[in-house]
Amino acid sequence: MRRLIVLAAAVASASSLLGAADAALIERGKAEEKRCVGCHSLTIIGSQRLSKTGWERELDKMVRWGSDIKDREALMAYLVATYGDGKPMPKPTLSADASASK
Amino acid sequence: MIVHNDFPEDLESLPEYLSTWITPNDAFFVRQHLPRPRTSAETHKVEVGGLAANKLSLSIADLRKLPQVSVPAVLECAGNGRSYFRPKMPGLQWTKGAIGNAEWRGPRLADILAKARASTKAQFADFDGLDVGVGKTPDFIRSIPMRKLQHPSTILALDMNGVPLPDLHGGPVRLVVPGWDGASWVKWVSRIELADKMHTGFYMNPAYRYPKNPVAPGSAAKPEDLDVLEGMAVKSFFARPADQTKVQLGTPVTLTGPAWAGEHNVARVDVSTDGGATWKTASLSAQGREFSWRIWKSEWRPAKPGYYTLCCRATDTAGRTQPIEPAWNPSGYLWNAVDRVGVLVEG
Ligand code: HEC
Repeated sequence: MRRLIVLAAAVASASSLLGAADAALIERGKAEEKRCVGCHSLTIIGSQRLSKTGWERELDKMVRWGSDIKDREALMAYLVATYGDGKPMPKPTLSADASASK
Repeated sequence: MIVHNDFPEDLESLPEYLSTWITPNDAFFVRQHLPRPRTSAETHKVEVGGLAANKLSLSIADLRKLPQVSVPAVLECAGNGRSYFRPKMPGLQWTKGAIGNAEWRGPRLADILAKARASTKAQFADFDGLDVGVGKTPDFIRSIPMRKLQHPSTILALDMNGVPLPDLHGGPVRLVVPGWDGASWVKWVSRIELADKMHTGFYMNPAYRYPKNPVAPGSAAKPEDLDVLEGMAVKSFFARPADQTKVQLGTPVTLTGPAWAGEHNVARVDVSTDGGATWKTASLSAQGREFSWRIWKSEWRPAKPGYYTLCCRATDTAGRTQPIEPAWNPSGYLWNAVDRVGVLVEG
């Protein structure tokens, strides 16, 4: 029993370490995303909800079209964590005239 | 407008902007693949070349000297409603409003092709606009077959709803291909190239293609099983009431919205106020010309308080009707499910 508890504690602290590493990776990915603005704004990225495979395909397409990604691993981690297919859709952004009419 | 992207501009109309026959220019959806080019009505030229005996370079003034026709027609993005497909796919996450009806005016393509003395070998014309891709992004070029270009309603629009075509909508000149997906309606047209084969660029293949036979949701389709998208689907939706509206018992509620059917005409719109269990036929505005939409209407007097699911469903002259579940397809085109809104009636 005791051994089990020790084991569980070890697993928990390892996963929180992993969590911190993930958070740092995701932070770097967020910075990498800012470099995606050469051809379009970031809004079109944040409105997608894609699986990991979906995001891999999307990045392949962007690279084919001339996007220069320096830190792909971090960008992927950020995209999947933030705009993964399980995430709820963002609230629509309304133009000033539309919000006025609401 | 709903802002899907501010650069390049991708703007969606709110459903309540779509309750009238004509959609005003500043409430009309905008969909740009590539950054908007700079041009002007004074300097713009349309070159006509390829398989034509008489190459042309036409100014906007030259185009205005040709016989002008007015074509009221719906423009709808092939991906309108994409956000409703499951599993989701990449692309603009449009809801209902990547659609509008406007009066387009300008010369017929048939007259321009006759002036250019198009060869009988020409099967397609490739339309290119002044917009260009950044980096290695492909240029936006669309091939339209001759049979559609010879149709008397296929025009180069110079005006939209009575004013010179705004540059946000492709001014000074855009192609109007009534009944077909918005991708065919090339903006800022600068070159028309007659050819014996379809253009092979990205925006003809693999983009804007649809499976010949339905595929399982989430699966890929082989390139040879995809066809170029042409005519649009039959569709109606609620412009009003908005989803999740609250109304007071005793006040009649007007249910209304547009209905259209691509290259066919709308025959009927049915509405349900009980989630599709029973249906009633709505009234339709006088038949416009083909290719434009009709406004359907039905008065509803809820009998008691509660939450109601309202549905509308159009049927066209070809016998097509809106499905409960449109066929999933890899690019998320032609969403046309029976539309629904929820209304809470308070006693
Ligand atoms: C060289 C130009 C270019 C760069 C740089 C670029 N993109 Fe794109 N991206 C495009 C084009 C072109 C489109 C399609 C626009 C359209 O049709 O509306 C697009 C569309 C998208 C879409 C919408 C889905 C789709 O495929 O149409 C996503 C998501 C996207 N880009 C992600 C990214 C990310 C992430 C980056 C940075 C790594 C990036 N892009 C950098 C050119 C670029």
